[in-house]
Amino acid sequence: MKRFLYYSLLTVALGAALTSCVNDDSDMDDILAQYLVEPAAIELDFSALDEAPDVPVTDENDSAYNDYVENSPWNKVINITFDGESVAINGTVPGVMVQSSGAHVTVVNMSGPVKFTVSGKTLNGSLKFYGDKRFQVLLDGAEITNPTGAAINNQGSKTMYVVLADGTVNRLQDGAEYTMVDEEDQKAALFSEGQMVFSGKGELNVVAVGRGGIRSDDYIRIRPGVKIYVNSTALDGLRANDGIILDGGVINVLTSGVGAKGVRSGGPMTVNGGRLVAINNGDTRVETEENDTTACAALYCDTIVTVNAGMLCLKATGDGGKGLNAKHDVVIIGGSFQAVATGTRENKKPKGVKVDGNFAIGGGYFYTYSRRSDPLEVGGTMTVAEGYHSYERGPKAITIAY
Amino acid sequence: MGRCKRKQLIASLLILLCSALCPTLSHADDAGLVASIEASHKFSKKLSTSLEMEFRSRNNFRTADRFSVGGDVSYKLLPWLKATAGYQLLLDNNKEKLTYQDDGVTYNNWRPSYWGPRHRFNVSLTASYKIQRVELSLRERWQYTYRPSTITDNFDFDEAMWEDDEVKGKGKNVLRSRLQAEWDIPKCKFDPFASVEFHTTRELEKTRFILGVEHTLKKTHAFKLYYRFQLTGSSSDESNIHLLGLGYTYKF
Repeated sequence: MKRFLYYSLLTVALGAALTSCVNDDSDMDDILAQYLVEPAAIELDFSALDEAPDVPVTDENDSAYNDYVENSPWNKVINITFDGESVAINGTVPGVMVQSSGAHVTVVNMSGPVKFTVSGKTLNGSLKFYGDKRFQVLLDGAEITNPTGAAINNQGSKTMYVVLADGTVNRLQDGAEYTMVDEEDQKAALFSEGQMVFSGKGELNVVAVGRGGIRSDDYIRIRPGVKIYVNSTALDGLRANDGIILDGGVINVLTSGVGAKGVRSGGPMTVNGGRLVAINNGDTRVETEENDTTACAALYCDTIVTVNAGMLCLKATGDGGKGLNAKHDVVIIGGSFQAVATGTRENKKPKGVKVDGNFAIGGGYFYTYSRRSDPLEVGGTMTVAEGYHSYERGPKAITIAY
Repeated sequence: MGRCKRKQLIASLLILLCSALCPTLSHADDAGLVASIEASHKFSKKLSTSLEMEFRSRNNFRTADRFSVGGDVSYKLLPWLKATAGYQLLLDNNKEKLTYQDDGVTYNNWRPSYWGPRHRFNVSLTASYKIQRVELSLRERWQYTYRPSTITDNFDFDEAMWEDDEVKGKGKNVLRSRLQAEWDIPKCKFDPFASVEFHTTRELEKTRFILGVEHTLKKTHAFKLYYRFQLTGSSSDESNIHLLGLGYTYKF
């Protein structure tokens, strides 16, 4: 009996000890899986895009009528051919004065629409326009590097049509240090005080090491067929004060400057087609004296962002970098929108999409991801219209598909 | 005292203790096992030593909580007063720690359970007083436990990544006060005992109630079976725990 008792106690003790092997942690597998989700891959994409035909607006009452280079007569032509330290200028147009110093060309256009065909290569040249007349710059295999400022600088307030000749590859690069002229701006490798409209079926590569890549103090429209690649290690890649309209094209923007934006629009940002990939690897700028911080963003917009069609692919990898930082509303009606933020959050929170206003989606595809912060922050109201195919909301990623 | 009366006495004590504890029980309470093996040796009437290994479980007996090994030396200063000094090496299965952000809903950090050592030193004085067949004893123990620094895994939900987390080393002083009563029942090989022990730091951290019996065989083997209820203080985030205790002591 005693032996039975002892063995029973021993068995109970050993049995309890040996079966005490269950982990009592909370079951976090499913929760961790939501946090450990990998972001969608967003990389620069230079592949061709099958786009609908680019049909120019023909109604003169349409506000976009003057954005179409086809709607102006271009019988006045001046050819500018760079060749190293020199330039050849062919053609004359009454009311247009063209001067050169080395390979630095200055044009004063007091005439009507004039087409400037630009070709050749220079590592120490530039092209500057004055005059309040719209004009066309046909880039026909041009490579312009200006070590002391912008490669192309339009000081006029009217439209500069930048046409990329079919099949050509063009390259513009600014210098690390800009030599400024009193009362003149030059804010980017390709700069215009007036609006810029890109068209044609060629390629434009812009390298910015001193300031921005492409910038207009008015608005920018990009039409189908265009291929633009901006690589800026300094300031914003593509920027317009009064808005950006993306009708089509293959646009790649890569920026890495501290506090810089990949694409920045001071006015409405409207995407009607094409594919814009903006990758920002820059970190938050910290002003130590004022203790102020400026975060990077792949796309920054001061007013409304509207996606009707096309593709927006945004990625920020630096500290506090946001995929989209919208100071007003965001409306997605169609197309595809993807924003990814993978940066650290030492100075700012790296959100996939930050909207200070309202967010509304009624069509297309929306995806946002943030590794170290909220994938989506909406300051106003968020409206997801009925009829979506899927709506997945996790702590790190949100997907809405129609 | 007849056998029947003794049984009534033991049963009455059990009922009394259980009724005292009942108001404190709740579904949130945990349960586990304490199993120990001890070897003790008397060098003389005054000097003795012991070596003990212990295992504990929690989570309703399903999760290992602690392994420990330790020893002590006791010396009888007076016939009724004993001094003891001891050391224990504890290997704890530290519980997980899940924290939330200010909103109370969003996860902040999760540190899964992890094994880590602790070193414990103690000195105690035990005063005993016998009233007929009941021996009352009061033990005052100062206990110092040092937990060395340990690197553990921590999941940072903000960063959405696993990272190394240093649990910093720290020491802790505890005063343990135990009042115990043991009955030596004639012609009965099972000696009941009961005790209450208070663990105090700057405040009362926990209280232990123990009720059990000890059976000694040929003065060499002793077996203990007891129930221990550990009531944690209000400031502790640990739950109360009911423990089944099993002990074997080899005396030589």
